[in-house]
Amino acid sequence: MQDIPGGSVGRGLSPVDRQTLLVCSFILAAALGQMNFTGDQVLRVLAKNEKQLSLLRDLEGLKPQKVDFWRGPAWPSLPVDMRVPFSEMKDIKAYLESRGLAYSIMIKDIQVLLDEEREAMAKSRGLERSPSSFSDSSYHTLEEIYTWIDNFVTEHSDIVSKIQIGHSFENRSILVLKFSTGGSQRPAIWIDTGIHSREWITHATSIWTARKIVNEYGKDRIMTDILNAMDIFMEIVCNPDGFAYTHSMNRLWRKNKSSRPGIFCIGVDLNRNWKSGFGGNGSNNNPRSETYHGPSPQSEPEVAAIVDFITSHGNIKALISIHSYSQMLMYPYGHSLEPVSNQEELYSLAKDAVQALYEVHGIEYIYGSISTTLYVASGITVDWAYDSGIKYSFTFELRDTGHCGFLLPATQIIPIAQETWMAIRTIMEHTLNHPY
Amino acid sequence: MQLRRQPLPAPRPGDRYPAAPLLALLLLLALQGAAAAPAGSGEPEHSGWRQDAELPRGLLSQAARAALHFFNFRASSPSVLRVLAEVQEGRAWINQKKEYKVDLVFTTELYNPEEGKERLGKCSARVFFRNEKPRPAINITCTRLIEKNTRQEEDYRLYKYMKQLKNLLDVVNIPDSHGHIDPSLRPIWDLAFLGSSYVMWEKTTQFLHYYMAQLSSVKQWKTNEDAIDFDYTVLLHEFSTQEMIPCHIRLVWYPGKPLKVKYHCQELQTPEEASGTEEGSAVAPTELSNF
Repeated sequence: MQDIPGGSVGRGLSPVDRQTLLVCSFILAAALGQMNFTGDQVLRVLAKNEKQLSLLRDLEGLKPQKVDFWRGPAWPSLPVDMRVPFSEMKDIKAYLESRGLAYSIMIKDIQVLLDEEREAMAKSRGLERSPSSFSDSSYHTLEEIYTWIDNFVTEHSDIVSKIQIGHSFENRSILVLKFSTGGSQRPAIWIDTGIHSREWITHATSIWTARKIVNEYGKDRIMTDILNAMDIFMEIVCNPDGFAYTHSMNRLWRKNKSSRPGIFCIGVDLNRNWKSGFGGNGSNNNPRSETYHGPSPQSEPEVAAIVDFITSHGNIKALISIHSYSQMLMYPYGHSLEPVSNQEELYSLAKDAVQALYEVHGIEYIYGSISTTLYVASGITVDWAYDSGIKYSFTFELRDTGHCGFLLPATQIIPIAQETWMAIRTIMEHTLNHPY
Repeated sequence: MQLRRQPLPAPRPGDRYPAAPLLALLLLLALQGAAAAPAGSGEPEHSGWRQDAELPRGLLSQAARAALHFFNFRASSPSVLRVLAEVQEGRAWINQKKEYKVDLVFTTELYNPEEGKERLGKCSARVFFRNEKPRPAINITCTRLIEKNTRQEEDYRLYKYMKQLKNLLDVVNIPDSHGHIDPSLRPIWDLAFLGSSYVMWEKTTQFLHYYMAQLSSVKQWKTNEDAIDFDYTVLLHEFSTQEMIPCHIRLVWYPGKPLKVKYHCQELQTPEEASGTEEGSAVAPTELSNF
């Protein structure tokens, strides 16, 4: 605990001070998670019908409480997650097994997990006093990224500023970095990552890219020309609620965390919620689905924030929306097989960008329109962007092609960022040289 | 209900797959050693197949992947798993029942490449997709990547290693959130992938294909008898729905013997399957494969 202010050598603590100190220590210890969860497990139970669900509700209703529900019994076939204290383990498992309730162990020992996490974060935090030592070759939490953003803006305040464009469903800030060397309402390039929260490689790539942009200005002729004429906007975490959830509960969560009265399933696919071809093939009106498009176009605050910003800016000339995985570079449309009117130019630009990417580490991307290259998908970001007049609308699917999928080792972050950079730079250069 | 049908695309510049003569393919298929999946009602040789000139681009790689899942399963060898490198030639036919017949030639590489040793194999395959029905019928031949003796030795080495592993029931989430797999657990991942190959083959249709995203848990690891009896759960990433499908898989493996697999996957989407028919925490077998 800190020294009592105003103390000088020889001054002791009064009895009141000592008691306050003790109380504060307890509170602090609890807040710092010094509670012990050794041997506690998190079980995931799948109730198959209403009968099984009511058995779980019985558990929930027990007094004193034997288990702590992280995700309570709601609907058959929705997983129910419960933390079971070590002391109750045998009883609870016997209860589940005797009633035919299938369960799996999600966390085998909560304390071990907490300890490991704390250690890992302390290690990386120890190195991250300044933005230049924030490790690019590891994945970070939302808090770390937001802290990094503040430090980054401070360190490069001549070029970079931070804009809050809205709030997520769970009321987290939605932040955009602006790279600008001056002017007013210059034509601009928009880059976004993390619309789908499980695509961790995308946030990591844009952090590296942000640094690259400021480093290249004044050194690389192309980047210098670009930034002397245009601005760049970068939204690193488009889905902060989902992203926080991938750290805390479900690494493979894709959607946002919005919920609505009467609907038991959480989350809308933020890349199906845009107002272009909304509700068509390749999106789903079932809230359970990973491609649930939401009740209406732009119903999600995370999407509305971007729409409002880009629309009121009015001068965005290129939009690059980055996802993973599949190793593809694509342009509109996703909702239709019809080629866009600028198809030939976009095809040619994609080809150049993919070639530039390939030359870095030999990684092959395929390219074409979304519907003909990946699959039909409706209500997507780049379709909306294109229909709003942003001619150079592209979407990336970064590495890999399925071997690790979303769970790419952190060692791949920098190589991926390096190659993707060359493709982004190609697109930006073309945008600069083809004003419209 | 999501409409999964993928209509044929408009012609686009730079099509990668010219309709090259597939004489070599036919010769290869005539050779011995072709692995074949039972074609169900039998291959309709001439009835109503017309060539599909506008190839849905994904169809060829999807067919190749399905063929490889099947091939890996049949090979039953966790030390020589193949993945798709590149489709080189492909042609598809469609009939009135909207079934697809795909002929293709593609290259493969090792799932677990050794340092500095690039091994590129070549396969030719014929894949039948029934209209939206899973379990595509497959005829596939591949060039040999590794000498048979070497493969057997490698499998046996893996087997001995796996027999002495302990505490596997603690294993959850491989890779972890940061994409890391402990090297000592890599063989478990490979064996899990082998079992999953069977599941992924069976579930693939012309509209749906799969990747193994994560080994979620080990429910059982028995090595007291000869074979390894491995009971585990995985998450399969499904395209194009983007769903993560939890599957409970049980396999029995002994080097050199055909792999036996039972599985049950949780389908969260279709209302009919959501209510479930299995009971308890043990998995009721839906498929026992040992052909």
